[in-house]
Amino acid sequence: ELPPSHFPARRAAAVAVGYLRYLRGGPGRRLELRALRRARRQDIDDVGHKYYLELELEDVLDKGRTVNCTAEVLYHLGSKSTAPDVQVTVQGELRSTEEADKEFYNRIRSLEKELVAENIPDSHGNVPPALEPIHLLAWAASGYVIWQNSTENTQFHLAQVKHVKQVKRSDEDLQFDYVLLLHEMVSQEVIPWELTVLWHPQSGARVSWDRRQPGHA
Amino acid sequence: DQVLHIVPETFQQVQHLQLLCSTLLLDLWKPLLPESIRAGEDLHIRVPATLEQEVKDSLHQHMISYRVLIPDVQKLVDQSMPRERSSHRQVSGGYVYTEYHPMEEIYEWMTQIQKNNSELVTQRFLGKTLENRPMYYLRISQPSNKPKKIIWMDCGIHAREWISPAFCQWFVKEILQNYKSDPKISRFLQNLDLYVLPVLNIDGYIYSWRKDRLWRKNRSPYKNGTCYGTDLNRNFNSSWGSVGVSFNCSSDVFCGSGPESEPETRAVAQFIKSKKSDILCYLTIHSYGQLILTPYGSTTKPPSNTEELMQVAKEAAAALTGKYGTSYRVGSTALILYSNSGSSRDWVHTIGIPLSYTFELRDTGTHGFILPANQIQPTCEETM
Repeated sequence: ELPPSHFPARRAAAVAVGYLRYLRGGPGRRLELRALRRARRQDIDDVGHKYYLELELEDVLDKGRTVNCTAEVLYHLGSKSTAPDVQVTVQGELRSTEEADKEFYNRIRSLEKELVAENIPDSHGNVPPALEPIHLLAWAASGYVIWQNSTENTQFHLAQVKHVKQVKRSDEDLQFDYVLLLHEMVSQEVIPWELTVLWHPQSGARVSWDRRQPGHA
Repeated sequence: DQVLHIVPETFQQVQHLQLLCSTLLLDLWKPLLPESIRAGEDLHIRVPATLEQEVKDSLHQHMISYRVLIPDVQKLVDQSMPRERSSHRQVSGGYVYTEYHPMEEIYEWMTQIQKNNSELVTQRFLGKTLENRPMYYLRISQPSNKPKKIIWMDCGIHAREWISPAFCQWFVKEILQNYKSDPKISRFLQNLDLYVLPVLNIDGYIYSWRKDRLWRKNRSPYKNGTCYGTDLNRNFNSSWGSVGVSFNCSSDVFCGSGPESEPETRAVAQFIKSKKSDILCYLTIHSYGQLILTPYGSTTKPPSNTEELMQVAKEAAAALTGKYGTSYRVGSTALILYSNSGSSRDWVHTIGIPLSYTFELRDTGTHGFILPANQIQPTCEETM
């Protein structure tokens, strides 16, 4: 049993939330960790450390409604290049984002010029309302990077969207090339990360390519 | 908009008034519902400006007399607006505390604060930054013939944590605005002096405004000017260089070339050393994380006065949560966050100052360092 306020459980929770954001987040849905209720750790010989978590999330755009989840995060022993295995079970249904998704999809498809933006939010924390879905999509995509690159010695958060560029495609997907700035809490580094995100209302977000940008932020 | 006062005399008048209110959807202040209108009892209705003529004509037609209770509702609303507006002018001539300010404006603000509150406040020189800028702190002290203990608070040791200097400014404003009227604050100042350093890492803060919003360290050049910045909160002489640091200048936790290698660190350390027997409590304000952290970062071994430290911190966290429900975690850095050495908070405790805390303000990662300005007020209010 682990104290939920201490960092080992918190780091595992951040991985679980990142994973869930990637799976269920999108331009119309923002999921935040509200509380970590309970955490246990199991050390499995020759395998790694497995964390069992009880989380309380909130669906911010659904009036901050509470979403209860359980999660399992397995950090593989010794390996720095294997992503942790994560499983998350959401209790109940999340509010449908079908309408907002369709609206966003149509709006972007109808743009004459490909969307380009930078510094979301700006230095003062402002996000123009029209860019909020792009921001939320970045959050969802950052969940993938966070999940894939986390260890027991890291804790990542999305600090800022440095740059985003839409790329028009001949198929049905929307494509956005992002440069995200990720803040890693333990080293305090701000790490630029390039990713290509594909999104469609029916299939959700997929990171098709990603790379940690070489050099320092 | 106006509010009219009417005392209906007959049942017919009551009926007419009920009809008028329901048809025009008038805002009843007293009673709340049309069906509660009674002859001989006070009736107060708010009439929107656009309907004023129509309503008054209708009342005339039915011989219902009225009196104007409130001639201009908006004016009353404006007058009762939060104190901040008018007291800003008192305290420092219109400074907007709900926005982030660049360093030039913070320098001006300090001058103004001293000027407008000279009976209580003195601006004092602490030292110079690497890029040769003056570091000032504000001493808030009520004149008295008895010697007073000191509470020290510094903000902005890490450049990107903008909410931190914003809090120091807010804190000063709140104290100066309310010390006469708030018994808690007034008693406080009778017994304690407050020393507030609004921006410790001035060069870094300026850099985060001009060049890189997410800069953390100071602007000390290393390796022949190919690499910049020491993490000032790894540079103090508390187990310096032992854990949670890097000796590589390009790291964000680079601890410098030695303990107190940086002028900003030395300026603060020298001062605190000189006053250490009078300092009761040391507070250093950071973001983000929503944490109240106690010593130590370099070891999980608890400090000698750990019970007292935790008790005070827990009470503070509870009071903070009481305001807007924001939850804070409390505990030692080594357990709650990560291992680190060379922090100002740890060093202050090791030289004998009993109460030493790091505050990590809002939020927990949603906005992180780039906390929107519209959260300045609630963050500061709850932390206050």
